[in-house]
Amino acid sequence: MLRLVAQRVLALVPLLLIVSVLTFSFTSLLPSDPVDLILGESGTQEQHDMLRKRMGLDQPVQVRYAAWLGKAVRGDLGTSFFSSVSVTDAVLQRLPVTLSLTAFSALIAIVVGVAAGVAAALKPQSLADRLATLGATFGQAVPNFWFGLILVAIFAVGLRWFPATGFVRFSESPSDWLRSVTLPSIALGLSASAAIARQVRSAMVGVLQQDYIRAARAQGLSRSRVILRHALTNAMVPVVAVLSFQITVLLGGALVVEQVFSINGLGTLAIGAVRQQDIPMLQGLVLVMVALVVAVQLITDIIYGLLNPKARPS
Amino acid sequence: MLIVAFAATVLGVLFLLAVLADWVSPYDPLQQDLMSALQWPSSAHWLGTDDLGRDVLSRLIYGCRIAVIATAEATAIALVIGVPIGLFIGYRGGWWDWIVMRVVEALVSIPGIMVAIVIIAILGPGLHRAMIALGILFSTSFLRLTRGVVLAEREEVYVRSARVVGASETRILLRHIFPNIAPPLIVQTTLTVGAVLLAEAGLSFIGLGIQPPQASWGTMLNTAAAFMDLNWFLAIPPGVAIILTVLSVNLLGDVLRDSIGRGIAAAAPPPASAPRVAPLLARAPSDSPQSSRSDEMLRIEALDIVIAMPGATEIPVITDVSLAIAKGETLGLVGESGSGKTLTGLAILGLLGPVLRMTHGSIRLNGRAIHDLDQKALEAVRGSEVAMVFQDPTTSLNPAFTVGSQIAEVLRIKNGLSAEDARRRTVQLIDRVGIPRAAERAQAYPHELSGGMAQRIAIARALSCNPSLLIADEPTTALDVTVQQEILDLFRDLQDEFGMAMMFVTHDLAVAADVCNRIAVMYAGEVVETAEVDALFADPRHPYTRGLLSALPQGSSRNPPLPIIPGSVPRPGTWPTGCRFQNRCDRRVEACEARIPLVGAERMVRCVHYQNARLKAVLS
Amino acid sequence: MTAAPLLEITDLHITYWRRSLLGLRGKPFHAVRGASLSIRPGETLGLVGESGSGKSSIANAVLGLAPVSSGSIRFAGSELAAMNARYPPSLRKRIQAVFQDPYSSLNPAMTVEDIITEPLRVHTELTRAERRAKAIELLQRVSLSEEHLRRHPYQFSGGQRQRIAIASALALQPEMIVLDEPVSALDVSTQNQIINLLYERREALGIAYLLIAHDLALVHHISDRIAVMYLGHIVEEGPSDRVFHAPAHPYTKALLDAVPLLDPQAQRRRRAARKSAPAPEAARVAPTGCPYRNRCPSAMKRCAEESPPAYSVAAGGVASCFLLADARPEAASAASATA
Repeated sequence: MLRLVAQRVLALVPLLLIVSVLTFSFTSLLPSDPVDLILGESGTQEQHDMLRKRMGLDQPVQVRYAAWLGKAVRGDLGTSFFSSVSVTDAVLQRLPVTLSLTAFSALIAIVVGVAAGVAAALKPQSLADRLATLGATFGQAVPNFWFGLILVAIFAVGLRWFPATGFVRFSESPSDWLRSVTLPSIALGLSASAAIARQVRSAMVGVLQQDYIRAARAQGLSRSRVILRHALTNAMVPVVAVLSFQITVLLGGALVVEQVFSINGLGTLAIGAVRQQDIPMLQGLVLVMVALVVAVQLITDIIYGLLNPKARPS
Repeated sequence: MLIVAFAATVLGVLFLLAVLADWVSPYDPLQQDLMSALQWPSSAHWLGTDDLGRDVLSRLIYGCRIAVIATAEATAIALVIGVPIGLFIGYRGGWWDWIVMRVVEALVSIPGIMVAIVIIAILGPGLHRAMIALGILFSTSFLRLTRGVVLAEREEVYVRSARVVGASETRILLRHIFPNIAPPLIVQTTLTVGAVLLAEAGLSFIGLGIQPPQASWGTMLNTAAAFMDLNWFLAIPPGVAIILTVLSVNLLGDVLRDSIGRGIAAAAPPPASAPRVAPLLARAPSDSPQSSRSDEMLRIEALDIVIAMPGATEIPVITDVSLAIAKGETLGLVGESGSGKTLTGLAILGLLGPVLRMTHGSIRLNGRAIHDLDQKALEAVRGSEVAMVFQDPTTSLNPAFTVGSQIAEVLRIKNGLSAEDARRRTVQLIDRVGIPRAAERAQAYPHELSGGMAQRIAIARALSCNPSLLIADEPTTALDVTVQQEILDLFRDLQDEFGMAMMFVTHDLAVAADVCNRIAVMYAGEVVETAEVDALFADPRHPYTRGLLSALPQGSSRNPPLPIIPGSVPRPGTWPTGCRFQNRCDRRVEACEARIPLVGAERMVRCVHYQNARLKAVLS
Repeated sequence: MTAAPLLEITDLHITYWRRSLLGLRGKPFHAVRGASLSIRPGETLGLVGESGSGKSSIANAVLGLAPVSSGSIRFAGSELAAMNARYPPSLRKRIQAVFQDPYSSLNPAMTVEDIITEPLRVHTELTRAERRAKAIELLQRVSLSEEHLRRHPYQFSGGQRQRIAIASALALQPEMIVLDEPVSALDVSTQNQIINLLYERREALGIAYLLIAHDLALVHHISDRIAVMYLGHIVEEGPSDRVFHAPAHPYTKALLDAVPLLDPQAQRRRRAARKSAPAPEAARVAPTGCPYRNRCPSAMKRCAEESPPAYSVAAGGVASCFLLADARPEAASAASATA
């Protein structure tokens, strides 16, 4: 187990390094000079040079990268070009909002997706299968933000069961938190649950045709035991393998769905930053998101290793 | 078919509207009329008006144009970037592959919308720039797909063949591998079109895609979101347009995937309420009654099995098979692929699966009919009274659990042993099947064992509940010949000790000669000859048995031409009427075209010549 | 009077490296450890062994599909091992191959005509019509016909597919064909059809075959000489009849004894002579000395201490076993043919 974790952590090092290089290289890809961006047309040549020096832009690129990475590792993601707030603070303040949305919708997606996928796989071509497949196809075609709007129209504006906008922190009031994240999470989780349902179905259909399932049945084990213990364990292997990708998609979707519900999360921050070409803010956002994704990937990798003995280090 | 028609209609209308937008839209999509803002649908404005009084229908129609341009642009960019790079790194491998894949992994670990946001930060907002961003984003999925297929196809034997022929690398890549990539690529393209549409709508919705006042479905939804409490209907037309389009494209992708995929279509089960055995049709009594044997353990009478696909005519795969096995006896069921020998074994266990159905006959175990038991009763019989060992030990053990736990599970559930007792008994069983260091090996996973070891484990599990009948389905075919010998020895030993009856299914007559007391030779779904093992080898009566014997490598030791049976085994559904072997038989006569019964007593043969010989013997 | 060998393999080593986590070199797997053998023009050598014995690795190395770690493969005077799989076309077309699984060795996206004429497209300047005429002729040679040209592989049975593969291999009139388990995926009743076809083509065209198989009895029918491999080593080699009827190496004997006899009574007698054994405890391959000693019933102390050289066998050929120690050890390139 320890070796498994160590191996997975080690495998993530090159990934993080490459992401950091990609992220850092935004600055040099930008069409406009950050100094011009900040000072605009107004500043004098001296002011420009001074700012350039203060931002370290006169240094060679690898020195700047090393300095930037060194700070980032210590949790210092720089200062916003425009509001002079610390990027780390700004991001950390919004992080719990987006995180609780993503986590809750992932939970919904996994529960709904696995249940629907298994139900469909047990009797291919049956009514349950057709309904699940149709539902999944439909679910993948619905834009999450549109679904959010419709949910708002029905359950918030019409029935007034849930608030239409806003977010309440869990620490303030768990029940209000639940009320505030329910609609956005459902809107966000729909297409992911559809995707998971399809994957579970196809994996399960494949596993159910395997020899070891027939062998377990030949041994007289009950159908439910064979399905739940022998088949599902193996069917989850490919599903878990792409689960971190699904959660990445959810994280991205959260940025958009936040706008529907006027939730002040990372999405609002990102949209503001892109409008102003606030490079440090964007860099910080990317790094934090990648850190989140990597953490999720680590967890799913370990679960994958536990489900699939062949993937464990020998 | 209905799905294709639906999808094609939706996409056709979309295209037409995109092309004809200037002519069909009732208003100028940008024309404002603040006096009539936020109107509900009316005869003047079929879909109402937005906050600036612009006609929603007209904006929707012009949105079609944007949607078509946007998806075409982004998908084309994604294809042009992704496919060549994927081809290159997949085929070249090495460092190129390593570096590109790490970069792709890095890109994929950033949420897609964030990647798009960053690229837009660099390029600036707007339709074409946003589509370049999406193109770059989605190129990773084409890259990974292409690379994956190339990697898989590169190892295919046909690529090795092409190498041996001397085809150049480029030729192998473009002429041999690429045609096999095209189908999944087409599917991926349709799926990408759907994903691009959704992403474009999302970007426009948050204001980073199409810039107002231009009309796109995403920007229309952006407007709608702001006026949800005043006029919720604004969200409906663009939303429905997006859903219908994406749905159509995805459905089309699914249909394409199913029709060009090499996979096997999911098999359909029989109607849930249908009895496992169809009501016995009025059918002539079996023309091959099996004489009763003393101490009988298994008796199969006049078994018929068909392939029953929904919407297709039933195809018989087994007809009129009758067998009996006595206690302590081993019956060899010998035949080539497609003879139905394995199905006979599965039918006993009631494990024919969804497509196959038993339509006639009876199966009795220890005098008790088991062919019409319900699921629950059948589960009680399986494992305890009949057990089965499968062909490939590496796939018949569950890869997710240790081998010991798989045996212990059976002991706990079927025999009610405690966890501790089950563990102890498991180790005993593993030791009994000749595996050294049994306690340690019980902790191993199937992939950590050799084929021979894994088959011993499978045998131990099958014998764990002392079944009275063991069905062994080609248990040594996947093994090396020296390992085969060990396993055959083990079978004989275990039978001496456990005293069960055994049904040994094999394609190899020599293996049958080694372990069986009696042999039933099957050909094209029926038994053509049964005999005691010595009699069969000393004097094979059916032309097929004779042909098979002489065709075995051990059958002769002279130089070619070796004796052959001409032609090949006919597939179910293409069997000739009458004797099914007639087309390949060198003793064919006209009478072969009539149905031939299995005749004889101790020894039975299904051949017109044997029938005649017996008749003559009786008459003289 | 021995003709110069067409193919001569000397002290061949093939090692695969398992890829480790980061795509770097991992643990080595020695597939072939110092194998030597030779084939004369028009001759058939049967290379026999169980799974993992390295026989297919040798086939792949000859075809330029497997990496050669050390040793030499000479074909008609050219050193193949040094070419790093980049054979010049002039050489390439002289060695062709037929692989085991006819279901994966034919490109599913191509028609039979494409498959058979592919070698002609690569190596000749023939026009489309000429290629088609040639394809029809080749199809007829393997008992198929013109009507099959436009079909795809999935429309054929296993035996027919293997005929197509053979037709494609014959297209360039090669001097040697590597046959990698050409019949083991086929039904018993079709196996002999393919063996007969291979035999008939060899007699007609004088092609040399390197026939890889696991079944000694089958190989015996068509081979002039047989070489037996055990875990990367060639343990015995000699004239086909001698190896089959009077095996000299204990492993060859075990291999022959393991094949059940078609005579149940004889088989019973043979079975009575041995007791069923538990699964062998020791590793299949011994690290030092004779590779077979862990499984060998006649292993001696000496077998663990030194590797047995190739001793010549009286009735022809060589075997690497100290039981033959009275005989004179052969030179290092032991497998070079005997008369």
